[in-house]
Amino acid sequence: MKEEKTYKFDEREPRRPFTVPEGYFENLTQNIMAALPEQESIYSTSIKVTPWMRIRPYLYAAAAFAGIFFCIKAAVGITSRNSQTQVAQAQETTIYSDEYIDSFLETAMIDDWTLYYTLVESY
Amino acid sequence: MLREDEISRRRAFESIVNNFSEQLYWQIRHMVLSHDDANDILQNTFIKAWINLDSFMGYSRISTWLYRIAVNETLSFLNKQKSTVPLETDQDGEMSIADQLESDPYFDGDLTERQLQEAIATLPDKQRMVFNMKYFNEMKYEEISEVLGTSVGALKASFHIAVKKIEEYFNNID
Repeated sequence: MKEEKTYKFDEREPRRPFTVPEGYFENLTQNIMAALPEQESIYSTSIKVTPWMRIRPYLYAAAAFAGIFFCIKAAVGITSRNSQTQVAQAQETTIYSDEYIDSFLETAMIDDWTLYYTLVESY
Repeated sequence: MLREDEISRRRAFESIVNNFSEQLYWQIRHMVLSHDDANDILQNTFIKAWINLDSFMGYSRISTWLYRIAVNETLSFLNKQKSTVPLETDQDGEMSIADQLESDPYFDGDLTERQLQEAIATLPDKQRMVFNMKYFNEMKYEEISEVLGTSVGALKASFHIAVKKIEEYFNNID
């Protein structure tokens, strides 16, 4: 009968099977320190100002002013157009008085149908 | 102490490197296996720590902070390696991890230790990290929890599962 063998991990003692080149740990601190960049260069690289970073505030300010300008222009344009329409309507209604229209109709020699048709057409 | 002028900063950092470089090296080495890769990652870890020294607020221990940087550097190295180098198996004539270790001049383990490394390599990266920290570096679960930001309970479960997988691996090759 075949004996069943099961592997039990706990039976093993942890052992590190890796090695390092001779003198590696003796020189490790020195090698790591030699590879570190200078602090000045760290700061100069960490806050390096690119051309885009330099012009960005001016571009944002210009865009904001342009936006405000167009908003004001649009608002003024709408207001003036409304006032022009009101003026035009006021002119049309005040030039001709009722008396003038009555006298005009009496002497115009036109019937009611023609008058109605003229008004509808002109409207 | 570390926020003085350049010279005293370097001197203080040198004592940090001196205190922690070896234990960090072994943590990285168990993950990447190759000495050259472990050395490169260790250098990068300390360069990052040096550059970001001002961002270390002292909320955690300096060792925990360094371990975190080393863990992140190692995981990003392994991810990069996976995306560039195909997973090496013993199929199609490619070298297995056990074969690679046999030809590695900086590996002095026997067959069982090579197979153990092969078994560990089958674990997911984070589970492997937990296993190595606990088994080879003999770190406490509380310390691992601080480094990895995982609860002690989850770490215990992860280590237990890793051990079961390794036992299963050995039972299958016996």
